[in-house]
Amino acid sequence: MTDQVSNEITTHEINSHEITSHEITMVEAVTLALAHEMRRDPDVVILGEDVGPNGGVFRATQGLYEEFGFKRVMDTPLAETLISGMTIGMAGYGLRPVAEIQFMGFIYACMEHLVSHASRLRNRTRGRISCPLVIRAPFGGGIHAPEHHSESTEALFAHVPGLRVVIPSSPQRAYGLLLAAIRNDDPVLFLEPKRVYRIERQTVVDNGQALPLDTCFTLRQGSDMTLVSWGASIRETLIAAELLSEQGVECEVLDLASIKPFDFKTILKSVKHTGRCCIVHEACRSFGVGAEIAAGLAEHALLDLKAPVKRVTGFDTVMPYFKNEHYYLPSEQDIVTECLSLMKF
Amino acid sequence: MQSHVEVPYLQCLSNEGHVFNGLSEAQLSILNDPEFLQEAYRWMTLTRVYDQKAVALQRTGQMGTYPSSLGQEAIGVAVGLAMSNEDVLVPYYRDHATFLIRGWPIRDLLLYWGGDERGSAGGPAQDFPICVPIATQASHAVGVGSAIKIKGEHQAVVTTIGDGGSSKGDFLEAINVAGAWQLPVVFVISNNQWAISVPRSIQCGAETLAQKGAGAGIPFVQVDGNDVAACYQVMQEALDRARSGKGATLIEAITYRLGDHTTADDATRYRPPEEVKEAWSKEPIKRLQSYLADKGWWNEEKEIAWHKHCDQKVEEGIDAYKTIAPEPAEAMFDYLYAEFPEVMNSELDRLYQKVERLNKEDV
Amino acid sequence: MKYFKLPDLGEGLSEAEIVEWHVKEGEHVEEDQLLVSVETAKAIVDLPSPVSGKVVACFGEFGDVLHIGDPLVEYDSPSEDTGTVVGEIPESTPASPPTDKKSSKRKKQASEDSSKTSSAGTNDQFIIGSAHASSRSNSMGQSKATPSVRALARRLNVDIDSVRGSGPEGRVLAQDVESSARVDQERGQGEQLRGVRRTMAKTMTASHQQVVPVTIFDVADVHKWEEGEDTTIRLAKAIAKACKKEPALNVWFDGEHMTRRLCSQVDLAIAVDTEQGLFVPVLRDINNRSLKDLRKGLDRLRQDVKSRTIPPSEMLGATITLSNFGTMAGRFATPVVVPPTVAIVGAGKMHEDVVVHKGSAEIRRVMPISLTFDHRAVTGGEAARFLEIILESLSKRQVK
Repeated sequence: MTDQVSNEITTHEINSHEITSHEITMVEAVTLALAHEMRRDPDVVILGEDVGPNGGVFRATQGLYEEFGFKRVMDTPLAETLISGMTIGMAGYGLRPVAEIQFMGFIYACMEHLVSHASRLRNRTRGRISCPLVIRAPFGGGIHAPEHHSESTEALFAHVPGLRVVIPSSPQRAYGLLLAAIRNDDPVLFLEPKRVYRIERQTVVDNGQALPLDTCFTLRQGSDMTLVSWGASIRETLIAAELLSEQGVECEVLDLASIKPFDFKTILKSVKHTGRCCIVHEACRSFGVGAEIAAGLAEHALLDLKAPVKRVTGFDTVMPYFKNEHYYLPSEQDIVTECLSLMKF
Repeated sequence: MQSHVEVPYLQCLSNEGHVFNGLSEAQLSILNDPEFLQEAYRWMTLTRVYDQKAVALQRTGQMGTYPSSLGQEAIGVAVGLAMSNEDVLVPYYRDHATFLIRGWPIRDLLLYWGGDERGSAGGPAQDFPICVPIATQASHAVGVGSAIKIKGEHQAVVTTIGDGGSSKGDFLEAINVAGAWQLPVVFVISNNQWAISVPRSIQCGAETLAQKGAGAGIPFVQVDGNDVAACYQVMQEALDRARSGKGATLIEAITYRLGDHTTADDATRYRPPEEVKEAWSKEPIKRLQSYLADKGWWNEEKEIAWHKHCDQKVEEGIDAYKTIAPEPAEAMFDYLYAEFPEVMNSELDRLYQKVERLNKEDV
Repeated sequence: MKYFKLPDLGEGLSEAEIVEWHVKEGEHVEEDQLLVSVETAKAIVDLPSPVSGKVVACFGEFGDVLHIGDPLVEYDSPSEDTGTVVGEIPESTPASPPTDKKSSKRKKQASEDSSKTSSAGTNDQFIIGSAHASSRSNSMGQSKATPSVRALARRLNVDIDSVRGSGPEGRVLAQDVESSARVDQERGQGEQLRGVRRTMAKTMTASHQQVVPVTIFDVADVHKWEEGEDTTIRLAKAIAKACKKEPALNVWFDGEHMTRRLCSQVDLAIAVDTEQGLFVPVLRDINNRSLKDLRKGLDRLRQDVKSRTIPPSEMLGATITLSNFGTMAGRFATPVVVPPTVAIVGAGKMHEDVVVHKGSAEIRRVMPISLTFDHRAVTGGEAARFLEIILESLSKRQVK
């Protein structure tokens, strides 16, 4: 199983820019992708709070202000609604802005602009004006942060037609998917699972190769169970797959990556192969992205299913303050337990 | 066309604790009130002792991320002492001094930052809890103000915000309606010069933040935020206006954030050390101490005794925080709805199963 | 630690004056070693180093006033930027568990496992899209049925994969399960094929689906054979000779890719009937072996089949097949070609018959021979000539 590259690769030659290889974390991969695109395309700009000299509170924009200056790396006043509105304006006029919302917990101030404008400008103007923008936000729990800083509400945005939602799960995929998001002409909400921002290092080649959107990634092959997840939960999912393998259950692990629109075909192929599916997400259970996948499988894979489609998720409660966070977040044991019961169905 | 606006700047004591000339009667009367000033001094000291111990708790892994109020004790104390018990506080997240004065147990403050919802339960019944989503408290405040007016009551609402927060739509929309509807709300901007790493200079192009009040049609003023006497006097004035139906006020208190934004931030990354050093020379506690000492209203003995008291009180709070039994897992299901919906029992069951499994593993 | 900053000195004191430095820039210090003495409003406080390390810079001189948080000493160590403004972002360290102390035991185990998977190595390998070429279900022989029908099958103790579906596209319906259950009751439960029976069913099905069979029948005159002649060995030798002359019947044919592989040696699969079912061990390289050697080999194969010690490898790789059903009964047959081979010889029962020999009717010993060939790969001519050589070889009194 080697890293296969899609047919739609766009290779870019950068004048006198050596293609370098880096062993980096996810947040550094984000920086690498941003730097690459900013060098390649003068229309790409960054805006957000603390993104300039401070390099972003998670250092995602580290070094960019020094290289490109305030003109292209802008520290905005503290105003999320404004940030989302301005980003739309910039995009509508021809720039390719990449805005940073410091935490997903603060993105709700942007909802009006995302839902009422970004998602529908192209549609309303019959293509005359569109929003090639990216809004990046760290999301998800597990870092012992104060309230509001552990949100996982990707489903809210996935529900909006016209918006794209993309969630990487590894440094390599973060690099490739962010490039794709920036180059894509639609408004993309790029949610970065901050719990795994620095948890592992991978070799990322700075060759400007984007990964395809609207495509799942198969991280592991197996014939007994299909596990679908995204973001930080991929980590627990892969660990669970190994634990299950020790018990004779071979799991196929799919990284959804593109949440909206999502690659149902790959999931379906896998479930036809395994007959069982378990979806893992940190976000709360009801009305989450898992429900959409489960509904699709009920519709299209009924005859191939040997067991019900289950979801391993956070609870239907407000995200608890961090002292009890560990009860809330789905663990590898939660996944193993659920899968074993599915095998016995 | 002009952009310049005349903004009054209020101060009573210089950095060294000397009385300025040309003070108003109200200001002078405060400066001549030893009881009040000593009380203010005691609260500021207690706040700082608590604050630094909270930072230490975080550094030793016993508490979560915490935003220090180092250097901003004067505003918090002025607000707390000026408000009456019936007034409503709609705070942001750095109002530790005000919380302490209004009766939040230290244990509860620590619980909040320690990741336990019970911390938000403390304080006066009508006060709003700590607000993390920036500036959203301003919108809440004018809602409370409207309610007070509708009910024909006469207390005031005080809402605090940072210089960064004053850039947000919520704030601008809130002061706008406060002016339009003449609401009994006092807006206090704690301008500590920094919104994490973004300096005041690029936060707003106006000469002062106070003058945003002009756009909202409400009276506005700047005050030396490290001068507790000046802050207290202007708060009294603003609260009087609010309580007597004369509407809102916007106060910009100029101060400096001597610590980091939070314990996870490192301000040395983006702040020049000379600037911080200079700011220390203007800090509020030393200045008042000088004045009190000059007047003979404070001395070494009192200082030692009071510090001992502060240490003890804070230790008690820390003890209570450390020894309280943690909330059980199912606490996250509490208070989701007025009555727990039956259909959610399956979720609760799911949690119990998980807890059972975790308990087995830990054994 | 990069910077040692002036800590909280207690008692509400927020500033201190430097009185005496005890270390110099460039000096290496140990943990707890005295760095500097400062004077507060109350006392002189000695500040020890919280870590061991090399001092790169000392901030402030005698008489300078510093405040809480001001840097005092810089160590020669990497910057400890937390890289966040709230909480803690877990960093990658080899086999280090996530931060939660409460479940650290459990997580330690998990992360030890994780170091074998996602954190191990610097790349995870992933496939873009699906790992499966087509959407065809993984069910060759697995029934399609809705979950409720599956549940019914389980309740009625019916093996759903053995039920014939009457629904759309062969879907198994509840009534199919029910009638299967009745059938099971009336006629006993269907036995799931296993082992050689299963293999035979699969092989024959595949052959039927792929091969275009034509069978030529003829009779060999074996009248001259001596008593006790080994029929199988004679047949093997005859086939070997025929393969030499007509190699087109000793090939592997791939109908999908339209390739024909001429096999250099003749590996003869010999159908052996046993209690358990049909075994087809392979006698290798029959062309180049002496009679004696062939006999030995054949006896060994027969023995291994009988004692069920024959390894699966001995049944693979045949280039042509012999079915000697005549040892029991039957004269002519249409034996089945086993792909990828293209021919199979069927030898019927040796018997005495009235034949015309040299112009007059005689009673002679004869053996009926049936040759089935795959007409996709073999021409009629090749097959007929092949058969002629077999007949000719069999008609001799003996061969070497």
